[in-house]
Amino acid sequence: MEIEVTGDEQYGSDVYSKLFEEIMNDLNKAVLIDRVKLVLRPSVPLFVFSIALRAEPGSKSIADVSTVRMESTGVHVTITQERYAPDILAALWARYGRSNVYQQTRFDIDVTGAKESDMAEMIVSSGEEDRREIMGAIWRTMPEGIKNRRTLVDGNVITVIATEEILLPEMVQVGREVHESMGGAAVV
Amino acid sequence: MYDGGVYRSEELFEIIEDVGGVVLQKNRSSQMLTVIMSIPEEDKEAVSRVCVDIGGVVKDVPLAGTEIAVVGPTLGRHHMPHPICDIAEELRRYGSITVVMGMARGRGKATAQISRTEREIVDEYDAAIFVMGNFKSCVEAKADLVRDIHVPVVLVTGPQPEGIDDCCEAIVSGVGRKASRMRTPPERAKLEEIADTLEAVLRDKKRSLEEDPLFVHPSEVKQILENYEPIDMCLRPAPMVLHLDGLRIKIPYSEHREYLENVMVYGRRLGEVADISPSKIDDSSVIVRIKTRSQVRDEDLKAGR
Repeated sequence: MEIEVTGDEQYGSDVYSKLFEEIMNDLNKAVLIDRVKLVLRPSVPLFVFSIALRAEPGSKSIADVSTVRMESTGVHVTITQERYAPDILAALWARYGRSNVYQQTRFDIDVTGAKESDMAEMIVSSGEEDRREIMGAIWRTMPEGIKNRRTLVDGNVITVIATEEILLPEMVQVGREVHESMGGAAVV
Repeated sequence: MYDGGVYRSEELFEIIEDVGGVVLQKNRSSQMLTVIMSIPEEDKEAVSRVCVDIGGVVKDVPLAGTEIAVVGPTLGRHHMPHPICDIAEELRRYGSITVVMGMARGRGKATAQISRTEREIVDEYDAAIFVMGNFKSCVEAKADLVRDIHVPVVLVTGPQPEGIDDCCEAIVSGVGRKASRMRTPPERAKLEEIADTLEAVLRDKKRSLEEDPLFVHPSEVKQILENYEPIDMCLRPAPMVLHLDGLRIKIPYSEHREYLENVMVYGRRLGEVADISPSKIDDSSVIVRIKTRSQVRDEDLKAGR
């Protein structure tokens, strides 16, 4: 994750760069982020946090995050991406009922009466959800008093413009410029 | 401070009594015991020997007998968790009782506020540490939050602010908002610096109290009240907390006011030699502020006693 910070105050800029990295690592979002640009102007106050994700978040089916194998009585699922394990289990319970879903180990699940082809259609995580989680992580890194926010989302670029009281057009303009420099569209 | 087991601890209490010392705070957790005591300097060796004999360790705790508020702009995760808790923990290592507090509307640069009730609550403690953030302009704008506080204030910030030295007793910079515990050696050194700064600030307050001493030392009032059943039976941790100029008693004011006012201290009613009031937090605690000898004499003269 490459972080670029511009700001009025050297101390605050240095600390926020480190804070951003630490918080994203804590929330397991650092791996999803390619580049970050932070504009910190506490004297205004105006804060622009812009991130470019490695890839645009898309929806994931069970087949994308696990290995699925047909067996005589049903389907055996081996979870390969642990973070989706609760979602997989919840989706299988909802579709086949708890009595037909037997979790052998943490990552191995037997589903009685299921078909391999069904698994490709079952969505366990939508891109929207990922986006929401990343937005939550960005808000967590921002100062608490900065309540008025405008969010620009375009493909894999997310930019949050925030201030304390009235969000003026010139502030939004600064945010748009940062958004564009990160690869986002000029008009969002 | 004695830190050790409960086993044979009665020997420690006996020697404290023998040398004319007092127990300031006693905290028992399962089989472990912490005793903060005040003893004459010349008997320190004898008491230490007993502590070691019974399997404990003895530490000097310069902030013993004080209650400190560690205040953040809010209790939100942006302000509250790491530096504030780490500072409070360090102060407890120095023997102080600490309280962590967040303001209702303390966030933001232009919108941060402190209410009168919040100021009055902070004023109940011996001193306060205000912990602020990483932006110099924000810290300087928020200086108003600490301006009308009457107890000594130590301001802990990220960058070194300018032009606000008059609104607090001391400023310690280099902390600010953090996303993790203060574990590294420079961070531990910073925590020690904060505690040492507070100790120096309170030393001045103690010195001014020595110039015009209190009518009775708070620990003596504590000893007198210890056997009062509602205090003895109180399940709240540390039912009586010593302050430099009084004490906090964690029993409801409305129910026990009469008893507290009439309890006798050196031939005088406590109500005559101390101001007894409900805590500003709620009615479940009582604040006792002991008057100075000159204050009592002055009031006696006015009343023709």
